[in-house]
Amino acid sequence: MPGGLACYRPAFEKHPDGPTMTDIQADFARPLTIARAPAKIRRQREPFTISPWLYLTPALVLLFVWTYIPLVEAFQLSFYQWNMLPTATPRYVGLKNYERLMALPEMRNALWNTLYYILGLFPMSVIIPLFVAIWTQDLTGRARMIYRGLIFVPMIVAPVVAAILWRWLLNEDQGLITLGLEQLGLGRIGFLTDPNYALATLTWITGWKLIGFSTLLFSAANASINPSYIEAARIDGASRWGIIRDIRLPLLSPTILLLSMMTILFGAQWSFAYINVLTNGGPLKSTTNIFYLLWEYGFQTMSAGWSSAAGMIAFLGFAILAAGCMWLTKRFAVYDN
Amino acid sequence: MTIDTSHDHQPLASLTAETGGKTRRIAVHVVMIVLSVLSIFPIYWMIVTSLRPENEIFSTAMWPANPTLDNYVFVLTRIPMLQMLFNTTVVAATTAGLQVVTGLFAAYALVRWKMRLSGVIHGLIALSWLVPFQVTMIPNYVLASKLGLLDTLTGLILPNASHAFAVLLLYHAMRSFPTEILEAARIDGAKSWKILWQIVAPNMGAPIASLSIIAFISAWNEYFWPLLLSRKPENSVVQIGLQMFMTQEGNLWGPLMAAAALASLPILIIYLVLQRHVIESFMKSGIR
Repeated sequence: MPGGLACYRPAFEKHPDGPTMTDIQADFARPLTIARAPAKIRRQREPFTISPWLYLTPALVLLFVWTYIPLVEAFQLSFYQWNMLPTATPRYVGLKNYERLMALPEMRNALWNTLYYILGLFPMSVIIPLFVAIWTQDLTGRARMIYRGLIFVPMIVAPVVAAILWRWLLNEDQGLITLGLEQLGLGRIGFLTDPNYALATLTWITGWKLIGFSTLLFSAANASINPSYIEAARIDGASRWGIIRDIRLPLLSPTILLLSMMTILFGAQWSFAYINVLTNGGPLKSTTNIFYLLWEYGFQTMSAGWSSAAGMIAFLGFAILAAGCMWLTKRFAVYDN
Repeated sequence: MTIDTSHDHQPLASLTAETGGKTRRIAVHVVMIVLSVLSIFPIYWMIVTSLRPENEIFSTAMWPANPTLDNYVFVLTRIPMLQMLFNTTVVAATTAGLQVVTGLFAAYALVRWKMRLSGVIHGLIALSWLVPFQVTMIPNYVLASKLGLLDTLTGLILPNASHAFAVLLLYHAMRSFPTEILEAARIDGAKSWKILWQIVAPNMGAPIASLSIIAFISAWNEYFWPLLLSRKPENSVVQIGLQMFMTQEGNLWGPLMAAAALASLPILIIYLVLQRHVIESFMKSGIR
């Protein structure tokens, strides 16, 4: 087979020529590996030509116009007070926005909730899928394909639709799940109206979209572990748990780290739609996370300065987390070479 | 050249022994059935509820006694659902198409030419992925309103016309393209434009298809940017229409479920037809 598209293979299948896991991991991690050097292709250095810049123009112009320039503007805006009306001029206030935010209990509350969302997602985006994938590894043939087709579905359901589906199932008066729990004698739970439950409910809905997909990723990675390792360990008398601990988990570590990174970096953003559609951050601010707070400051209370300052804090925080995650991946991921 | 997928790797017979007998096999199915039901039941319930007549709406029967399409008729007459579905199709298809084109161009530039700055550019493109949209939303909104893009489909498409993800996916696919062929074409005097469209792009079928699927589905499901930009339902996309409908008629469960079903129908149809390809695209390319 000529090498043309060799790098592009369906991930779920086993490669004829080796483990797929590292491929999956590499494909995922590459886009996030920021400073990766570009392709080193044998070629003489050419004199400067304009052509590549013409090809790069559309992408770069769009990125600058819609991401980088706005990022700089948001940074500037974080030192100003402005109500977003075109007629009003922004007023310079220095670091006041940041000082105010730090003193606001709302901000602290939103940061704690952000942490809650992220940690609450872990069981659904990493832990349960990991063990389900290992536990169900010998499923074969038709059954495997059917399960695969079904558990993937939540991934492509629109967040607004997912929010509405769960709003109906969990409805306090007539929701199927509420009625079911009542029959079991657990009483009625205000899943979305009780401050003690709302945050957990939204975390669950966010995780619902991920659990099947993560399971499929782990299954693919697990299926690509070279069977001879397992065989060798068994001959050496390793126990089942021993094989999982010493062979499977280390070789699954790239996928574990990848999904953990995704959860940490994007988990709180994924929950935004559910907050906005279902609770508006309530009851009693119990479901407001940092991204919802930005939105509230920006487009409900119209304080662009606060929103931008909170945005900068969030951006910086997540940038540090991203750097940390990438360091961890480099340091701890075990690849099977 | 075909991609070899015949080696669907299955555990060896001896490996199955690693994990026990019949009870375990049943337990495995139980776990997967639970997970499947969890994944699919809410959607099933949406469809069942949408088919119930009004007086049956709170029934807990698993199938409506007298299925009806009344709820769908209600939705279609009450809000401009068809117009919104049309808008969403236009937005999603155009976004996907533009992402493919801008991604192909940028990836080609990075692969084909050796530039001193290509490392920096690659980094800039990749980093943009990490900027949360909520952080740049105010300047974006101000810019969109200055350009007169509020409440327009162009406004919904433009900021997403290029995406780091698209560039990087195509870049990594293109990198494995044999350089010898490019070199040969160049020596033959072919212009870079011709090489891109006649040699590179036709061989990028699989990654382009993957990218199109993911970009289309993501654009279809996009919620945040339309939320900022949209004013009138008839100029908006279906996600916003759905949210507006919920805010106004939140407890008309039958019509609400019908609206949700209509909004997800195109995606579900794509999934039914291209199931294998959709799953593989997402698995290869990750979560967006």
